[in-house]
Amino acid sequence: MGREKLQLPIAFEQIMQRHEREIMRYLLRVSGNREDAADLFQDTWLRAYRAYPTLDPARDVRPWLYAIAVNLCRNRARDGARRARVIVAENEETPAENTRGKPDHALNENDGYAAVHLRDLMSALPARQREAVHLRYFAGLDYAGIAAAMDCSQDSARANVSHAMKKLKSLW
Amino acid sequence: MFMKMEKLIRSPGNGFKVEGFEELLRHARRRVDTALKRIWRPEAAVGVVESPLGDLLVAMTHRGIVLNHYLLDDGDLAATLEKIRLQLDLVENPQPIKEVGVEIRRYLAGEAKALRRNIDLHLAASPFQEKILRKLQEVPRGAVVSYQGLSAAAGAPKGARAVGNAMHNNPVPIYVPCHRVIASDGGLGGYAGGARRKVQLLRSEGFALEDGDVKLPGKSVWGHRATNIYCRTNCRTAARADRSRILFFADPQHAQQAGLRPCKICRPDARVSDERAICRKT
Repeated sequence: MGREKLQLPIAFEQIMQRHEREIMRYLLRVSGNREDAADLFQDTWLRAYRAYPTLDPARDVRPWLYAIAVNLCRNRARDGARRARVIVAENEETPAENTRGKPDHALNENDGYAAVHLRDLMSALPARQREAVHLRYFAGLDYAGIAAAMDCSQDSARANVSHAMKKLKSLW
Repeated sequence: MFMKMEKLIRSPGNGFKVEGFEELLRHARRRVDTALKRIWRPEAAVGVVESPLGDLLVAMTHRGIVLNHYLLDDGDLAATLEKIRLQLDLVENPQPIKEVGVEIRRYLAGEAKALRRNIDLHLAASPFQEKILRKLQEVPRGAVVSYQGLSAAAGAPKGARAVGNAMHNNPVPIYVPCHRVIASDGGLGGYAGGARRKVQLLRSEGFALEDGDVKLPGKSVWGHRATNIYCRTNCRTAARADRSRILFFADPQHAQQAGLRPCKICRPDARVSDERAICRKT
């Protein structure tokens, strides 16, 4: 029974430092506004901290973190939809229409419009396909990672991404 | 136009630069830190220490030694680590662990008369068990109490079995001396790390025990917590004494050191040459 067998998991602090940027970027992109992103960011890390001791040290932390973020985003979208039904009056603008204006910080004019166009197309996708695209292209996870983060099989992760891409291509 | 879409979809800002990203991150990070403080697990250095009692898994928080676990078999290490990770954030810091190892080895060799490290009872299973363990720390080297005596001292006169459980769950054996708790009839009782280790520990603290012994040696004496008198185990007053108020000492010297005076009837402090006279009196 030797000292070398004592394998400690990476300290949580280190995981936070390593991944906080990409998680924040992901949340910003998915939620589309800063307040929600900050809220989700806090919830994600609190949940991650609570659950961290039960994470198998052999497992990759990135898909695990994204899984938490994805679930929280889903919850928020669901609750948000519920709230919106109650609060928003019929003739008010929907958030998607809000974003159609000219972006302030586009790289150039066309890119900016293309980005807005893309965002609109994305928001029209079914939720699971949208999540899969976000994870595949924005977060850069592989299919095994997406499967772990979305709690589905690799095949369905792949199918979700390819269906989404086909749809985006056809509408572009 | 499609190629451009693919490029866009991969680009980090989706065509936008996120203004004030760093500031947003800092702000969010501060919020996370505040929220985490409420559910923070204490940080603990862990390491394995070699000792004459076998390998020990030791963990230290900033408050003191929080875990001292006998590693009984190969699967034990991983299982224990998994268990304590739920309550502690484990970090690697070999220095304090090494110091604990040195202290334990010196203590067992009799070079150090006391263990002077602070103890953190964070891993105690319940407030009751924590109370028992704190009370137990008052039992000095060279003395033992009974399960019953300890439960009475902790204010639960009928809790002898519960004391047994608390001893079994003691997260910091050796430091919290659960090896100094025995049956009221002088039998040595069991030990979480095995009876052999209990004998070994008691022997290093002055009890004349051999491997395989199951009772306290005849040289040991009974001390009364109420009267501050100590007797031979066969003294007639000792036989009548309230068991819950009794401490057992390894020998008369240890009892004397603890501030007790010898009984005038059985004269436990008498030299061997006087024994005959005393025998007649008792």
